[in-house]
This record gives sequence, C-alpha cells and structure tokens, in this order.
Amino acid sequence: MLSVLLQIGWKKLWTLFFISVISFGVIRLAPGEPSQIDPLNPRFTPEVLERYRKAFDLDKPLYEQYRLFYWKLFTGELRSFKDSQPVLPKLVERMWNSLPLFIVGTILVWCYAFPLGVASAVRRNSFFDKITTVIVFALISVPGFYLAYLLIIFVVQTFHVDVIGLRTFGREGIGGFLNLMDRTWHVVLPSVLGATAGIAILSRYVRSQMLEVINSDYVRTARAKGLDEDTVLYKHALRNGLLPFVTMIALLIPGLVGGSVIIETIFAWPGIGRLGYEAILSRDYPIVISLNFFAATLTLLGTLLSDLLYMVVDPRIRLEKAE
Amino acid sequence: MASQGVTETQLPKEHLSPSRLAWRAFLRNRTAVAGMLACAVFFLVAVLGLVVTKGDNPVLDPRQVRLADKFRPPLSSPNREAVPAEDLPRLGIYLLGTDDLGRDVFARMLEGAFVSFSVGFVAVGIAVAIGIILGGIAGYYGRVRIGVGALRLMSVDTLITGLIDVFLSFPSFFLILTVVAVLKPSIWNIMIVIGLTSWTGTARFVRAEILALREQDFIQAAHALGVSGPRVILRHLIPNAMAPVLVSATLGIAGAILTESALSFLGFGVPPPDATWGNILSDGKNFLFDASWLTIIPGTAILIVVLGFYIFGEGLREAFNPKLRQQV
Repeated sequence: MLSVLLQIGWKKLWTLFFISVISFGVIRLAPGEPSQIDPLNPRFTPEVLERYRKAFDLDKPLYEQYRLFYWKLFTGELRSFKDSQPVLPKLVERMWNSLPLFIVGTILVWCYAFPLGVASAVRRNSFFDKITTVIVFALISVPGFYLAYLLIIFVVQTFHVDVIGLRTFGREGIGGFLNLMDRTWHVVLPSVLGATAGIAILSRYVRSQMLEVINSDYVRTARAKGLDEDTVLYKHALRNGLLPFVTMIALLIPGLVGGSVIIETIFAWPGIGRLGYEAILSRDYPIVISLNFFAATLTLLGTLLSDLLYMVVDPRIRLEKAE
Repeated sequence: MASQGVTETQLPKEHLSPSRLAWRAFLRNRTAVAGMLACAVFFLVAVLGLVVTKGDNPVLDPRQVRLADKFRPPLSSPNREAVPAEDLPRLGIYLLGTDDLGRDVFARMLEGAFVSFSVGFVAVGIAVAIGIILGGIAGYYGRVRIGVGALRLMSVDTLITGLIDVFLSFPSFFLILTVVAVLKPSIWNIMIVIGLTSWTGTARFVRAEILALREQDFIQAAHALGVSGPRVILRHLIPNAMAPVLVSATLGIAGAILTESALSFLGFGVPPPDATWGNILSDGKNFLFDASWLTIIPGTAILIVVLGFYIFGEGLREAFNPKLRQQV
C-alpha cells in the first residue's frame, strides 16, 4: 500500500517538474529573447527592457533563470508588469472571484449529466435518446461567444435584468435580499454557459458507460432475480459504471479555466480567465506563466486526489498496482 | 456469454469482417449518416470555395470592397448606379448580403469554408501523426528502460504516459492562446499550435489498442518471420488500431474549427485578409443589431458543420465498439 502511494507521488512530482518547465518555456518561443520582442514598438523603452531583465534575470544562464523565477514567485517577489503588484495575491483574489462560477457550473454539470446519460442509455434509440443526442451536441457545436450573445439578448429583453459583471453597476448599497437576487442573476448566465460543454461531454460518457454495463452478465442476473428496474439500474448498473468518472472530475478542471477565458471576457467577470486574457493582451508575462503553471498544478492535484479515491472505491486497482 | 456461444455453433451464413460489420451498424444509425452527409457537403463546399474564390480573377471575389453597397441584407440587388460595372457581383445579386465594407458575404463564406476546413484538417493531421508515433512507441517499446549511462531511470511507457499527463493538465485553450499571442497569429502558427496541444487523445487510444494487440498470434507470426519493430507497428499494429484514431480525428476537426473561432473572437485568430468562418462571425457580432445576418449566417454554418462532425464521430465510435453496437 505504502509503496503504491510513494510510486504515485513520485510520478506526480515528475509531472509537476515538466509542467513548470513547459509553463516557463512557452514564453521563450518568442523569436529572440523576451527582451527583444518587437524592437520597432514605440512603447518598447529602456525601462521596459530593464523590467524584463529584472523579472527574468536574463543575464544569468537558463537553468538559473528558471530556478530564480519560481523562487521569486513563491517568495512573493515576482510582480506583475502592469501594476507592479505581487503575482500570487493577485491570482488568489481573481481565483476567489471565479469560484462561484466554478461551483455553480460544476453542480449544474453533475445534476444534469447523470440523469440525461442514464435516461438516454436506458431508452436507447428512442426518440428521446436521439433528440437529446442532437441537442447536447448542438450545445457544444455553437461557438461559445455566439451562444452567449444570443442568451444575453434573450434574457435582457425578456426579464429586463442586468447580467454583465459581478453585480449591477451603481447598486452597491442595496442590502440583503435584493443584493442576493442581483448577484444570483449575474451568476446564472456565465455558469450555465460554462456548464454546457461539461454537461454534453459527461452525459455522453455516462451514456456509453451505461450501455456497456447494461449488457453485462451481472445486470442480467439482477434482472433474472426479479429485482425492480430502478434497483437494477441505479444500484447495480450505475454504481459499477460510475467508477471511471472518479478520474473525470479532475480532468474537467482545465476546461473550466480555459473556458472561463471567453465567458469571463464576455460577461466582464473579474475572474481568473479574464485576468489571463488581459495579461496576454498587455504581455504581462509573469502573470501568464504563473497562471498556466497554477492551472496545471491544480489539475495535477485533482488527478492525485482522484487516483487516491479510485484506490478506495475499486480494490482491483490497489492489487493490480501493488503487483 | 451464452448467446454468443449459440450463434457460433450455428455458424452464421455470411462471414463479415469486423470493419464491414461496423459499417453496417453505422449505416443503420440514421442520425450518424446525416452527420456524415453534413461533413461531405462541407467538404464539397470547401473545395468549390477554393476553386471559385482563388486566383487573380476569381469567379466570386471575396475581397472586392464596394463601400456604396455596405450592409445590404441577403438576396438584395446591388446598387447599379454607385458601384462600377466591373465590381458588380457575378451572380447579379448578394445571395447572403454584404458586410461593413460591402464585401459579398456569400463569396467570403465560400473562401472561409476552405480556410476553416484546412485549419481543422492540418491541425488534426499534426495531432494524429504525433499521437500515432508516441502512442505506437509507448505501446510497443513501452517496457524498454531508458536513462543516462548505466542509470535506468524509467521505462519508455512511463515517460510517454507522463508526457500525456503533463499535456492533459494544462488548460489547453489558454495554452494555445498564450503561444499564439507570443508567436503572432498566422494561419500556420494556429494550425501547428492546435495540433501540438491536441494529440493526447489519439496517443492514449493507440497505446491502449497496441497493448491489447501485441500479444496476439498474428503479431507473434510477424516476429517469427523476422519483421522489424517499426514495420510491425506501421504495417500490422496501426492499421488494426485505426478505428479509435478515426473517431478522435473526426471529433478533433470539429474541435479545431471551434477553437479557431474562439481565437478569432479574442482577436488572435487567422488574420485578415484570409476569411474563416470564425473571423467572419467575430467581425459580424459588432453589427449584431444592425446587420444580424453577419452573425447568424456564419454562426449557423459553424453549428451545422461542427454538429455534423460530432454526430458522425459519435456514430463511428458506437459502430466500431462491439459492446455498444446494436444487436441485429
């Protein structure tokens, strides 16, 4: 047991190392040194160059630059090019803003994907199955920003509520219930849009997973024993079919961060995705590198958690790996 | 499986190869066939678009600016007094209207069809090539240990699956955005970057298939004949592992078209003068209230084509998976 844990931990450490190298190396893809980006740019002054040199220690060898970058990041010395604020607190603040969207979006995904997938699998090739297949795929086939604009126009014209931003501008003072209502309206649209891709992908996985399980012998045995259909489906089939989804939770995290770039830009939501987009626009490299690094690390922690969970729920894995 | 045992002893009348069986199962799924038709139509439109809009004197010129005729709704006739005779559209009518510069949206959509198609196709081609090579190596040479000097650090399989884990951890859209922003958006950069970040699925499928296939008799036979490793992978293993690759390639083209349109929206898409459906859509959204056709036409076109690819790919996946295939 302990050796398995050590093995997993060792592998994750290697992954973390490569993640940090790639995050740091992406910026080096720019032709020449980062300090020489677009020398014709009139905004490219000696002060800017000096800032690059200071932030990235360009006069040192490459491995030293790498080490110093992460050292500065974690000691809070690394500052954003744009407003000279330390990177770490800035990221944490924006992450905090994005949290409501993540939570509501994740809840929506789990509440809709499973019933949809199971219902589609049970009534395979029925009209219901076909229509949900098409609708679910249509939702991820529309470019996200197109769907967002259509939804915004629809909601604003029908309900006459403001949906852009964290809260309605100029209504900061209103307290209690009204404030709650206002915040809720602003959370709904972006989190619904963020959840569509997750619902579509997850419900398809649930459907094919259920289909595989439904045809297996032990489900037939359960039916033959005379159990009622609900017990067979939810207690026998779904439980076993659920196993692979333990790993999927973690792999949905990068989608949430990547998808939030567009959604938060449209809704002017001061979250992590918009911070990333603004940083890219203003070539604020410390933020861009750290954001890539932390998003990937977060996913890595998620996969670590799901690996451990998997070992708890499926004893076969434990034995297999220990061999 | 008792039922399978029965059919085996009864000896079915015709022996069909697995791929024929899969094809039959696919054709029975009418939604999937509709998806395939949508893809075929898109392919034809893209080729037609290349023929009609390229060259020095194209039949339909997507770059002809007619400022007198801007924002004409679909099916409107050109203003013959203000526009010089040689600039008039060949069709004599603006089939899908004109945009803010008076360019013919129909011609631009035709041109964009080919550009969008090639972005999807080249990106997926790169992803599939990397996926097959890395997945093939991981599956076949996975047990070989590599390292520096006498120190055998890890097996090939550990290295490649580790690399897959690394790429799966990154938020791929943000990574693509970062790279495109650093490298400056150009159509080639976008294709390469999308390809370089989306090979993980193919690699995993190929690796899994090869792990399942490598112990089978026909591979042992190939070894006994003295066939070399790379040849066994390319001639014997990969062709048998093609089904999941095809599925993920179909889904990948859809994904690449969507990614390009999302990049266009953020201002990092294929730069003008090349038209893609993504940048027509993201330019058009600025005039959503005055000229809604500039948004609705490319938006709907992307929806139909991407939906077609998704349904087609999903149908293929079901048809190739014997467990999911419908029993006759």
